[in-house]
Amino acid sequence: MNNQTQALKVLSLSGIILLSACSNATNSNEASNSATTAPAADGQAVDSTIKDSTVKMKAETTKLQDALSKQDGDQVKALGKGINELWLSYENTVRQSFPLEYTEVEKYEMPIFSASAYDKIDFTSLTVTAQNLMGALEKLEQAKPSSESSSELLDKAVANYEAFVKEQATSFAAATKTFAAAVKSGDAEKAKLEYTKARVYFETIEPVAESFGDLDPRIDARLADVENEKDWTGYHRIEKALWADKSLKGQDVYADQLVKDTEELEGKIQDIKLNAKTMVAGAIELINEASTSKITGEEEIFSKTDLVDLAANINGSKTVYLAIIPALNEHNPDLATGIDKQFQDMESLLRSYQENGSYIAYDKLTTEQIRELSDKLSQLSELMTQTAAIL
Amino acid sequence: MQPKKDAGISRREFLKLSAVAAAALAVGGGGAGAALSMFGQSNAPAALSNDERLNFYGAHQAGIITAQQKYLYLGSFRIITDSKADLISMLKEWTKFSTLAAAGGYRKSSGNNLLPPADSGEAMDLGAAKLTITYGFGESFFLDDGKDRFGAAGRKPSHLSRIPRMPKDHLDPAFQAGDIAVQVCADDQQIAFHALRNLIRLASGTAILNWMEEGFTSAPPDGKTPRNLFGFKDGTANKLHQSDFDEVVWAGTGEPEWMRGGSYLAYRKIRMLLEVWDRSSLKAQEDTFGRSKESGAAYGAVGEFDPVPVSEQPVDSHVALAKQSRQSIHRRAYSYTGAIEPRTGQLDAGLLFLSYQRNPQEQFIPMLRLMQSRDRLNEYTQHIASALYACPAGVREGEYIGQSLLKDI
Repeated sequence: MNNQTQALKVLSLSGIILLSACSNATNSNEASNSATTAPAADGQAVDSTIKDSTVKMKAETTKLQDALSKQDGDQVKALGKGINELWLSYENTVRQSFPLEYTEVEKYEMPIFSASAYDKIDFTSLTVTAQNLMGALEKLEQAKPSSESSSELLDKAVANYEAFVKEQATSFAAATKTFAAAVKSGDAEKAKLEYTKARVYFETIEPVAESFGDLDPRIDARLADVENEKDWTGYHRIEKALWADKSLKGQDVYADQLVKDTEELEGKIQDIKLNAKTMVAGAIELINEASTSKITGEEEIFSKTDLVDLAANINGSKTVYLAIIPALNEHNPDLATGIDKQFQDMESLLRSYQENGSYIAYDKLTTEQIRELSDKLSQLSELMTQTAAIL
Repeated sequence: MQPKKDAGISRREFLKLSAVAAAALAVGGGGAGAALSMFGQSNAPAALSNDERLNFYGAHQAGIITAQQKYLYLGSFRIITDSKADLISMLKEWTKFSTLAAAGGYRKSSGNNLLPPADSGEAMDLGAAKLTITYGFGESFFLDDGKDRFGAAGRKPSHLSRIPRMPKDHLDPAFQAGDIAVQVCADDQQIAFHALRNLIRLASGTAILNWMEEGFTSAPPDGKTPRNLFGFKDGTANKLHQSDFDEVVWAGTGEPEWMRGGSYLAYRKIRMLLEVWDRSSLKAQEDTFGRSKESGAAYGAVGEFDPVPVSEQPVDSHVALAKQSRQSIHRRAYSYTGAIEPRTGQLDAGLLFLSYQRNPQEQFIPMLRLMQSRDRLNEYTQHIASALYACPAGVREGEYIGQSLLKDI
């Protein structure tokens, strides 16, 4: 099981590498309309601040890698926090000057910081992340102001996001197989664990998955969504068996169907063509999903793992936000700053509901805590809807 | 009356608008220029049947001594930022929207149809219907658990404090006063709701709505006093200080500059036990108020507005106690109805008591204490929310609401 999980994690990270893979290609012929050049007057000063801070980040990351190889948990936590503070001290400048490199650092920096809050540290997985962070920092250190036009950057953002979605779909199909195998072997505890892991992939790209007619209801319908309970299939059908009925009897047929359906979904997603409009609309829809069905506890009524889904929705939306930063920088840099702050707030609040790296059950939240999450979602949603201005 | 398209302003409409402008002058003293400039609103519709407009600008805020409109929305906001700059930018947006809505207008969209519309749109083509938007600051705006959030603690007005606990209070902790209260009134409910709804949207990221109440009142057409849900006239005493607003309503000397010409809003949400009331005899009902239900005349008097012969009142009647306090307040109450109480099947309905006064510690709180401890009406009522707000003086054109409170700190 552990190896399988590792493989999935690595796989999901490789998608992020893919996301940023195109970012080094620059086209110096397209100097006009540039979205992302640093301010001319103090450009040099900004660049040298970024360079200096990045050198410091690299030094800290080297220490982190060292602590990871020694499996020194306390040291890893302290460094994780320190690296995050360092990053926060200059990330706004990076976002404005080198948005593509920014996205990449952000992707690896965040999981390292999050892990510093856990009691148990997954050294193997963090070692991979730290290595990727080092790579991202090296690219940032050597970054040159991009000279691409905003429409080119937006096209690239779409292509990168499309690759991310496809990779998530592949991970989802693989994770579903692991889940189905656990269900069929009658191992309820393992099945519960795999259930949560698999759903993260789905919830991260939910709007895309929902665009395929009856495939989404077959995979993700809740009891409340179906007309006849006997036609009910998919994740939530097995969720009820696992958490409410506490018996996996008769679930094999649903497990087999689920594997078929998620493979079909994966196949369809490999053929999709996204555009900027669908990408941005999807990001807004993800927040709306979170602020309607997840925040009310309606999505996971038996397993109470709504916060897992909610965090995945947020993360999916943030992936789009990170991809469109160059375009936002051109149209409305204040909006990018506002969204960035709001995601940070949201992530920090969500982190406070984690215990040992897992989200607490929805029914452990008080009404006031749910309201606080809901208010933050509303603010995030209000800002994210404004991103359509780049289209 | 249908609006005439492309016909300019007819003589009759012009006369009507002039009358409104004059009313705006009388109410707000906003200056003829301000009143006339309302015609220039490009996205304000031509005169409609309910397009009477009251000026948002003036020496005092509109919606305080303005004749009561039919509908009320009252919203309590909590500020969620520590940034004074963000707060000010929200207040500027609110002010801009308030002047627009008071002129019957709505927010223009950017032209990019992939963005949500700037305005929710339900008030389009409806006119202004005497819309007023009135702002007040709660105690926690100045000091929240001892924290001076925006550096304004030194400008907290003299008489702003929490209303002390009263006998028979049934206060629901969900209804805290909050940092800012917004009172929206109009003769059209949809127009009133549209205004509050868009203020909520404009506040996103800076303030959130704690709670919202909606109220209604219906006055007979000939200027008679409106009635509350007990069927009794409510606000008779307002007639007694029509020329004395400085004495009763407007705060003055002893107040920080921003509050001079402002007023304190006292709010109580009072549930009325309608089922119990409706099963009480007419005599019991009239004894409770100390007035005739039909004419509104106090016991021993002939007309509604005749002096109250206190010796004729039952000692614990509502009117006797109000007179005993020897204080005047300016009442602006609305009725409310909500859902039914699921266990008893009884209605959740009653009064959104709103009153404006220049000094609540002197005028309102002693009166409230007297009534809460002795009023016969208490058998039929429960106070479930309580709040006090300081409503600043009016806004001049080019200023934003609260500007004189927040400037230079």
